[in-house]
Amino acid sequence: MFLLLAQVTAEDVSREIARLQRNYEFLSYGLIVAWVILALYVLMMVGRERRLKREIASLKAMLEDKQPR
Amino acid sequence: MKEKLAYLMGAIAIALFARNIYVISGLPQEVNQGAIFKIIFFHAPMAITAMYCSCVALFGSVMFLITKNFKYDALAVAVTEVGLGFLLANLVTGSIWARVIWGVWWAWDVRLTSALVCWLLYAGYLMLRRAIEEPTQRATFAAVFSIFAFLDVPLVYFSIRLFRTQHPGPVFFSSEGSFPKDWSAIFALNMLALTLLAAVMTIVRLGQENAQREIDSLRRTAHAI
Repeated sequence: MFLLLAQVTAEDVSREIARLQRNYEFLSYGLIVAWVILALYVLMMVGRERRLKREIASLKAMLEDKQPR
Repeated sequence: MKEKLAYLMGAIAIALFARNIYVISGLPQEVNQGAIFKIIFFHAPMAITAMYCSCVALFGSVMFLITKNFKYDALAVAVTEVGLGFLLANLVTGSIWARVIWGVWWAWDVRLTSALVCWLLYAGYLMLRRAIEEPTQRATFAAVFSIFAFLDVPLVYFSIRLFRTQHPGPVFFSSEGSFPKDWSAIFALNMLALTLLAAVMTIVRLGQENAQREIDSLRRTAHAI
């Protein structure tokens, strides 16, 4: 065990730390991107909802104006 | 009633996500892959959710062709759009995982390519809908196209079982797979949360399709006056 530890250099340790950090970095990128895609889709839906409501209201108003009194 | 149900499902999904993210962050690292392995808790459920969506789209399309009822067409388009979002998130998370494990962002193996083709086919479905003005013709052509696009889904699912791919082999429903039991429970809960989220999105999108139909009918009335 002691012999094995003696073979580990400071360079090995720093390389392992860098690998772990890179691993976490990419994991966070993955999760962030996934949620950003879904959040953008939700925002797109909210925008579409508003546009549809506006369009319905304006069409109804137009039809009321066109109705013979 | 439908809105209340959607709110309830959304609240359950958010609570489940909060719990799952807390539990997943506390899990130990996988021996060979390290922390990046944890991406599977989102990557795979997103793919499965997208697959559910394509199955519902197939049902909606077939039912529209049989009954000519537009509510099935609305269901097909709503669920296709939601599924497309989940499949995109699945492709991106997979690509990020591949960059760490394989050293490349993308590999043209059967699983990845068939999933990309699937995404392109369903994106084509939405583009086709925009290109046709007449509602009945639009719904009929789109339904036929959706059934055609679904042919790619079994290929995506079975690709890792039928071919030697760079993509890892099946973990679930396979004798080769090995996934700890307690991890499977977390995976299943995340799967449930994503399915609930997809259902909420579909309900909202269905409401928008109904609003669009109302607009079409109001426009027809306005033209007639």
